[in-house]
Amino acid sequence: MASLPKRIIKETERLISDPVPGITAEPHDDNLRYFNVTVEGPTQSPYENGIFKLELYLPDDYPMEAPKVRFLTKIYHPNIDRLGRICLDVLKTNWSPALQIRTVLLSIQALLASPNPNDPLANDVAEDWIKNEEAAKAKAREWTQLYAKKVDDN
Amino acid sequence: MASDEEYSLQFDEDESDEEVTALYESRNTSEFTLPDLICHKHATIISQESEFDIDDDEDDAIHEYEDEDDEDDNDDLLALPITMSTKKALSEGSVPNLKYECLTTQGIYERMLKRIHHLQPLFSIPPDDILILMQHYDWNEERLLEKWTEKMDDLLEEIGLNVTSKKIVDNTNSNTRGLKYRKDFSCFICCDDKTTETFSLECGHEYCLDCYRHYIEDKLHEGNIITCMDCSLVLKNLDIDQIMGHASSNILMRSSIKSFVQKHHRNYKWCPYADCKFIIHLKDTSSLGEYTRLHYSPFVKCNESHRFCFHCGFEVHAPADCNVTNAWIKKARKESDNLNWVLTHTKECPKCSVNIEKNGGCNHMVCGNCKYEFCWICESAWAPHGKSFYQCTMYNNDDNGKTKTTSTEDAARRLKRFTFYYRMFNEHEVSAKLDWKLGQTVGIKVKALQEKIGVSWIEGQFLSESIQTLVEGRTSLKWSFAVAYYSDPSHNLTKIFLDNQILLAKAVEELSELLLTKQPEAIMKKKPDFYNKAGFVENRRLALMECGRDLLCKGICKPTD
Repeated sequence: MASLPKRIIKETERLISDPVPGITAEPHDDNLRYFNVTVEGPTQSPYENGIFKLELYLPDDYPMEAPKVRFLTKIYHPNIDRLGRICLDVLKTNWSPALQIRTVLLSIQALLASPNPNDPLANDVAEDWIKNEEAAKAKAREWTQLYAKKVDDN
Repeated sequence: MASDEEYSLQFDEDESDEEVTALYESRNTSEFTLPDLICHKHATIISQESEFDIDDDEDDAIHEYEDEDDEDDNDDLLALPITMSTKKALSEGSVPNLKYECLTTQGIYERMLKRIHHLQPLFSIPPDDILILMQHYDWNEERLLEKWTEKMDDLLEEIGLNVTSKKIVDNTNSNTRGLKYRKDFSCFICCDDKTTETFSLECGHEYCLDCYRHYIEDKLHEGNIITCMDCSLVLKNLDIDQIMGHASSNILMRSSIKSFVQKHHRNYKWCPYADCKFIIHLKDTSSLGEYTRLHYSPFVKCNESHRFCFHCGFEVHAPADCNVTNAWIKKARKESDNLNWVLTHTKECPKCSVNIEKNGGCNHMVCGNCKYEFCWICESAWAPHGKSFYQCTMYNNDDNGKTKTTSTEDAARRLKRFTFYYRMFNEHEVSAKLDWKLGQTVGIKVKALQEKIGVSWIEGQFLSESIQTLVEGRTSLKWSFAVAYYSDPSHNLTKIFLDNQILLAKAVEELSELLLTKQPEAIMKKKPDFYNKAGFVENRRLALMECGRDLLCKGICKPTD
């Protein structure tokens, strides 16, 4: 593997030395571009008390190209589909090289706090969300309990 | 392939056509002499030139294409006049002229620049800024002006042309727009510390030139407005060129125009021919409805002389209209799997079974081995084709006697019928391609003419014109089989259409054969023949097209399944 760009080294160092509250990101030992990520469900959201696992990969062209991020934990959210793919502007068209891994993860956390059913990725979920928001939120809470419990399986 | 005697006979054969011709619009068999023809030809060339009015403002030529009616006028001069009844039919169903122009992305961009130059007094900002505004509003001048009068200051800020105080990074060194040279600069993007050139806008977000170049390179082909990497402040074309070191903003502008063309596909169409860079702009699409109603097709021609239908984007498919074309193509695509057509370029000689390759468009084959003359299409002897009727364009309904058929038999018959027409369609397509290839060699022939017998360029033009006529004739003939397939076979007009088809097929084959002449002297000697045959093809083509349109207008030809 080619030597790691200074930018990635610096970002990784800072993620470990000065972590964002509620978020962890650790690079794999054998691939320093691949990160194991956990994001805590924001308080006062249906995802409260949940810990969500994600994977994050920095493509060769990073930071000119956005990092690739995917949820590994099942989640009931209108902008996240059943494969864990995320519909978020900063991961697509609004990506800028001035953004970082930490800003992206913060954006994802913010997305959990404020779902946007009007720009859906999971159409069925978005439909539920628009029709009956309370029921949809209850289901999201239920899924958080089922799949994203704080106590680790290990 | 055929002997010279046959050529000399060809024009006397008109009498035998008479009865068929009389069924539909016939033409007057008028004799003319060579000087007449040349004179007419010149007149045609002049009249064609006058059709191009070149706007001083634009670099691109503007064509005024007047559909088929217009061509009639030229062809009347060129060849046999059409009878009054045909004329009447043509004028009755006339459609408004198509006014279009042929452009390139660069041409459209340059035009936009001129517009901006005109508009500048209305704005109090530099042209580069107006360009960004235009890009933001998708090159829609009216919308921009409307928004501009509504809220000009907010607009500048919204789009990122003005700096707001809160966005400015507190770094007095960086807050000027442009390139800088820095020692021990730490770039926030690549995190490298180095002595380098940097760039920043008034916002003060300063990055090394390498990162900026990489960033811009990726964005040029997207065609969107490029902003600072950290805020919404816009990079203008001058900034882009400054960073990249050359005129890269032109690529961005062309990409932007490209997406503009794609978004406005009702008025703008890319020429569908491979690698053609031209765009046809139809200013007024309101007449297109009239074209559809009268079963005309809006054929346009780009500056590379590629002709296509503005409506369906397909080649010139007359006498078929867009509906028939679509239905036919779909059907052919579906059926060709079932039929598993193996249409190759070789056939066995029906007499001696030696393999023969067809290397020209002409369907009159002479076996190199046994000298047997036969028709490529029906594989029977050529003799009956040349004289009176060109029979093999006709589908022979061989089960006239049967009255009751089972559904399977019916399906089989329908398939057989389609197979026949599909084969005819295919044969003429292949022939047209071969004719086109032949046309490529015409250039060499013309050159040989000029060198060997000192013929001027303009006098040698009749050869390439004949090829053009031939290919157009073949294409119409090809599509006429689609029309024939969808037409009610029992109707009298269909029969007339088929007769016209035979006449065109015959004319096309004759011209195709004539074009195989190799010796330059022989070509010059046959010049009147070339004019006659080409005029013949053109007239028959027009008659067939009118007849086909008649079938469509009267609902006799209806595309099904």
